[in-house]
Amino acid sequence: MEIRGLSKAFGGVQALNRVSFGIHAGEVHALCGENGAGKSTLIKILAGIIRPDEGEVGFDGRPLAFGDVRRAEAAGVAVIHQESVAFAHLNAVDNLFVGRECCRFRGVLDRHAMARQAREILGRLGEDIDLNQPLEHLPLAQRQMVAIARALLARCRLLVMDEPTASLSAKESKVLFRQIETLRESGVGILYVSHRLQEIFQLADRVTVLRDGCWVSTDPCCDLDETTLIRRMVGREIAARSTARGKGPQEEGPRLTVRGLSRAPMFSDVSLDVYPGEIVGLGGLVGAGRSEVARCLFGLDDFDQGSIELNGVPHPGGSVAASCASGMALVPEDRQHEGLIQTFSIGDNLTLPWLQRFTRRGVLRRSALKTLVTRAIKRLDVRLQSTSDPVSSLSGGNQQKVVLGKWLAGKPSMLILDEPTRGVDVGAKEEVYTLIRELAGEGVGILFISSDLPELIRLSHRILVMSEGKIRGELSGAAMGEEAVLRLALPVGNGQGVD
Amino acid sequence: MGEGGIVRSFRYWHEIVLLVLIGVVFAFAQMFEPRFLQLDVQRELSTHIWEIAILCLPMTLIIITAGIDLSVGGMMALCAVTLGMLFQRGLSPWVAATMGIGVATLCGVLNGLVVTRIRVHPLIVTLATMAAFRGAAEGLSLARPVSSFPEAFGWLGQGVWWGLPVPAWCFMGLLLLTASAVGLSRWGSYCYAVGMNPEACRFAAVPVNRVLLGLYAFSGFASGLAAVLFVARRNTAKADIGMGIELLVITAVVTGGVSIFGGRGNLLGMVLGVLLIHETREFVSWRWSRDELNFVVMGLLLILSVLLHRWLTPANRNTS
Repeated sequence: MEIRGLSKAFGGVQALNRVSFGIHAGEVHALCGENGAGKSTLIKILAGIIRPDEGEVGFDGRPLAFGDVRRAEAAGVAVIHQESVAFAHLNAVDNLFVGRECCRFRGVLDRHAMARQAREILGRLGEDIDLNQPLEHLPLAQRQMVAIARALLARCRLLVMDEPTASLSAKESKVLFRQIETLRESGVGILYVSHRLQEIFQLADRVTVLRDGCWVSTDPCCDLDETTLIRRMVGREIAARSTARGKGPQEEGPRLTVRGLSRAPMFSDVSLDVYPGEIVGLGGLVGAGRSEVARCLFGLDDFDQGSIELNGVPHPGGSVAASCASGMALVPEDRQHEGLIQTFSIGDNLTLPWLQRFTRRGVLRRSALKTLVTRAIKRLDVRLQSTSDPVSSLSGGNQQKVVLGKWLAGKPSMLILDEPTRGVDVGAKEEVYTLIRELAGEGVGILFISSDLPELIRLSHRILVMSEGKIRGELSGAAMGEEAVLRLALPVGNGQGVD
Repeated sequence: MGEGGIVRSFRYWHEIVLLVLIGVVFAFAQMFEPRFLQLDVQRELSTHIWEIAILCLPMTLIIITAGIDLSVGGMMALCAVTLGMLFQRGLSPWVAATMGIGVATLCGVLNGLVVTRIRVHPLIVTLATMAAFRGAAEGLSLARPVSSFPEAFGWLGQGVWWGLPVPAWCFMGLLLLTASAVGLSRWGSYCYAVGMNPEACRFAAVPVNRVLLGLYAFSGFASGLAAVLFVARRNTAKADIGMGIELLVITAVVTGGVSIFGGRGNLLGMVLGVLLIHETREFVSWRWSRDELNFVVMGLLLILSVLLHRWLTPANRNTS
């Protein structure tokens, strides 16, 4: 495939500016860049969802038709989108075959054939998926696998993957990587988009970097190291990947004490302490029950047993309002659905939880709210034109900063972060890390959930590892290593080694 | 995507469209039927619209939360019947009217409780209670009308005060209260937030259930008030009051630019929507004296306003 001079503008923003590069058959070609660099736009053009303003794409020597998903698929381009585009009410088989159903006679669906093919292809991916469950009842990772299976089913010759591992655990990622290897050997070209540099170095043959819609470089992977790559993506030097940590716990009573917390069947007997100024990492695979613990602590769900103490005071479960009032905050995992109201303005999103606090005799104090917004924007360095723009106009990283700012505005003493850097670009990631350290420095207790092992290890003072709803162990100091965390995170009895 | 530009960020395109359409109707009237625009004629024609306008206030907010209340007519009937029966038993019509409004408010609370506690979709809940309230009203009154209310009570529906009908003052008072609640207190933001993303609301400690309960109770209260004005205007309390009124109300609100999917729309648009529909209907009746034409005109207006809105705001088509 050859991409030549592709440009696309939205309104006044040039999302892509004369981008050209090529992808060989049987190569894994990584595409890197910060959020807003134009990766998603490029993918949408290849998928046939939008038309470019100029430029062309040659595919096997023939020009690819733009703006038609069906013809792009027929030509052999398959795309796995970041936010998996799926029909939540339908089961895995229907999702795999929607738009290309197998038929017998005239228009009569051949359900048996479809189910058989589905089982075969999912089996190849090493996934044991309940084919009769609607997709919405499956874990995120399995939904992702269905999306991948859909692409494989199309017998594509160019597979575009947009952050396929964002919601996968380490083990599932490995399964995926093995699949990618197989595809590469069979001569399929793969365009692989990811923020996880480790994966890129592990998988890719060549790397193309985009910045602000422009092509920056295309190089064989072996000619690059991580620092060079990051520098090209960001266009500036990032304060090297320092492992310097905050000052750590101070000599005070714990911010948060949890004893024997259980909620069947998600998790049981979870006990932990978070001290002021301490960043406690909560590691584990996706589905280990970490987010569920966070939801219970924050009062979104009830728990069956156990106790929560906040700053030494017993804390009742089941009420978000009570949690907010006593200084707890949760930055949720799913920014799109749980963290933000996309059509609300940036300012309205920031102030939503605090409206009651800024009400005098039933009337909102608009000027005080405005000050709150200005201060939050300044502290977080959100890049925006106006606080009255809808939050959906921001890039992923800046949206995440708004979610963080929304909770920091309440000056919490205990902060729970659930995957705060998911889908956030490298530059913004660093800013989020700095912010988390600053907060810890101010004495906030932080419970930090992350599936990204390097960041978990880098940031945390201690790491608790969960697996199958239980805390399997605690690591601190020099004992915190990727291997050690993984070993604890893998389900017991599944005596699988880690390489 | 960065959708810049004054044209696209201007948020009141729909209101402009409605104003233009209203202007077209008035210009038409000026050309062919100048008497239609005289103040006393307009006042005379406006008598029944105020009840619909009052019902539009809670309906706007409920639709903004992505809900709907189909039972307004049923609640009106229960209020009217309560009013009539208590008056017949010798109570003062004012006390009876207050009790009637109380009953309608309780009906609204019931709707709200089922929507929030049992978590049934409001469309189903109010579809059921629409029939149930109407049935209860028919059963209680045995479909017998009550009339001969004192003249002082009739003033509520027919009187004129400071140049405007009394129901108009009721509507404007309620509009002012609602608009300040939406604009000044936190509850306005909550309505929009609930309509756009109820899940994120839970994470942000927004009291979703209290918002909804309050709105459905408000809808009951407004239905009661509308019923009292209706009874005072017609001087009869009967269980068939407000039949099919919910569709008129919803049509006006949606014409006013309130999205049926929740989260979008405002009270100004709703008021313009009511005005447009009212003026067009009255003008059509005035000129051609054909009532059946009215339904066609209403349907066309609804579609026209939505289409014009869409053509004027290309941004709406490009997002997503």
